[in-house]
Amino acid sequence: MAVTALWLTDFRCFTEAVFEPDPAGLTVLRGPNGSGKTSILEAVGWLVTMRSFRGAPREALVRTGADRAILRAEVDAAGRRVQLEAEIPLTGPVRAQLNRQVVRRRADLAEAVRMTVFSPDDLQLVQGGPSARRDFLDEALVNRHPRNEALVTDLDRVLRQRTALLRQAGGRLTPEVEATLDVWDSRLVRTGEQLAEAREELVTSLAPLVNEAYERLAGVSEPVGLGYRRSWEGDLAGAVVRARPDDLRRQVTGVGPHRDELEITIGPRPSRTHASQGEQRSLALGLRLAAHGLACQAAPEPPVLLLDDVFSELDPARSEALVELLPPGQVLLTTATAPPPAVSPDRVVEVASGRLLGTGGRP
Amino acid sequence: MYTAPLQALIDELGRLPGVGPKSAQRMAFHLLKVAPEDALRLTEAITAVKERTTLCPVCFNVAEGDLCDMCADTRRDPSLVCVVEDPRDIVAVEKTQEFRGCYHVLHGALNPIEGIGPDQLRVRELLTRLDGDAITEVILCTNPNLEGEATAMYLARLLRPLGVRITRIASGLPVGGDLEYADELTLGRALEGRRDVEA
Ligand SMILES: [Zn+2]
Repeated sequence: MAVTALWLTDFRCFTEAVFEPDPAGLTVLRGPNGSGKTSILEAVGWLVTMRSFRGAPREALVRTGADRAILRAEVDAAGRRVQLEAEIPLTGPVRAQLNRQVVRRRADLAEAVRMTVFSPDDLQLVQGGPSARRDFLDEALVNRHPRNEALVTDLDRVLRQRTALLRQAGGRLTPEVEATLDVWDSRLVRTGEQLAEAREELVTSLAPLVNEAYERLAGVSEPVGLGYRRSWEGDLAGAVVRARPDDLRRQVTGVGPHRDELEITIGPRPSRTHASQGEQRSLALGLRLAAHGLACQAAPEPPVLLLDDVFSELDPARSEALVELLPPGQVLLTTATAPPPAVSPDRVVEVASGRLLGTGGRP
Repeated sequence: MYTAPLQALIDELGRLPGVGPKSAQRMAFHLLKVAPEDALRLTEAITAVKERTTLCPVCFNVAEGDLCDMCADTRRDPSLVCVVEDPRDIVAVEKTQEFRGCYHVLHGALNPIEGIGPDQLRVRELLTRLDGDAITEVILCTNPNLEGEATAMYLARLLRPLGVRITRIASGLPVGGDLEYADELTLGRALEGRRDVEA
C-alpha cells in the first residue's frame, strides 16, 4: 500500500501543491513549525478517514479566503491504482469519491486504503481519559477488519437515538416511550455485546505485541498488562433494564461499551498515574506499533504509515528502537529538525510556508 | 456576477438534493439555452405535481385524485400488505415483479434525533387497516439500516397480538453477484437470514 501522489488545493496554508512521496520507502517532510508539513499528512489522513487526525474542524482545513478545499490522491494497492478525491466546502455537504464513485460508507474507504497514524497526541492514550483508549481500540478494530466500522458507528448512533428519546421523555415513562425505548434498548444490547466482545478479543491479540514493543523501546523487561473492564456485570440486557430508572432521570445511557475502560499497567503500577513521562511515551508508541502490527497481519500488504513529529521527544536509543520496530512499507514522516541518525530517508521534501521543495515537489 | 433571475434559478436548483453549486450552474445555463416550450413543460410539470398529487387515503402512497394505482388495481391481493418507509420504495419493490399484494407507506422511520416517533409515522392508520380489512400477512420492508431495523422491530412487537403473520425481508446478496466480491457485512447478514433449501 503506497500513496504515489497527492494534490492539494486551498487546503490549510497550501494554495496549490503536489506531493510525490517515495512509493516504497521512507519520505521525510522537513520544515519549521507552522510550515504545513503536518498538513500534508493530515490531507492523506482526511482522504482515507474523512476526518482530521488532529481533530481539526472543517473551517480550519479550508485556506483563508477560499470557500472549499480540494484533495486528490493516487494510491497503489497491491498493484491496483486507487483514486481518492474530496471536496471540503466551508458549508454544505462534503463530497468524497473513491475511484470516481461517491463514498457511501467510510468502511469502503478503510477497505480500499489502509493507514496507521502516529502523532504526538498519542501520549493521551496513556495520560488521557478512558475515551482516548476506547477510540484507540475502535480504530484498531476497523483497521483490522473494515466491517467493524458498522459496529462502531451503529453503537454511536443507537446511543444518540436513545439519548434523544430520553430527553423527549423528560423523565416520564409513558407506554409510548416504553414501547420505543424497548426497541432502542434491544439494539443497544445487541450492538453493545458485539462491540465489547470484539474489543476484548482485540485486547488479547494486542497484549503480546505491546509487550514486545515496550521491552525494546523502554529497554527494560517489565510486563505491560492490558485489561478490558466492562461497565456492567452479567449480560448487558439485564444491566440496561436495571439502569433504566437512572437513565430516565439523568437522560443519558449509563451502561454500555461507551463507558468501558482499557486498564494498562506497567508491572504492578497503573500506567496513567504511576509511570514516568518516558515510560508513558514508550507505552503509547508500543500501543500504536501493536495495532499497526495487527493491521499488517490482517492485510495483504502493510498499511501506509504516517509518523507526525514522533522523534522530537525521543532520545536516540528510543528513536533507533522505533525505526527497527517499524514493519516494511511506505512511511511518511514529518520533522522540524534533522531526522535522527537511525532514519535513512529515501526522499526528503522541504516544506516552507505552504510550498514543497526538493525531490518530492514539482516547481 | 449573474443577473438576478439567473442567480435565483441557480440558488433554487442548488437546493435540490444531490445538486452541488457547479451542477446548479450547468443546469441553469442549459435552461437558458433551451427552447421556451421545453422550459415551459418543466415549469408545468412542477406545478402539476404540487397541485394534483395527493396521498392515497388507504396506503398513503402518492396518488392523483383518490386511490393510488396500487389500491385501485383490483387484481392485487389485499390480504398481503408490504410496509415501506417511502413511496419510492414501492417503485423498487414493484420493479422486482415478485409482489402482487398491497402497500402501506409509513413516511419515515423511527428517529428520535429528528423528532420522529410512532405518532409522526402512519402507524395508527396501519392498525386501523388491520382492524378492518382481511389482512393476513404484513411484510416489514423498512430499510436494513439502524432506524429501519428499529422500526421493523417496533411494528413486529406492536402487531404480534393481532394474530396476523409478520415477516421481514431478508437482507441478502445482490443477485448475479459473486460471493467473493460481496462485502462482509452483506454476506454476514445473508448468512443470518438463511433459510432451509427446498428439496
Ligand atoms: Zn393506496
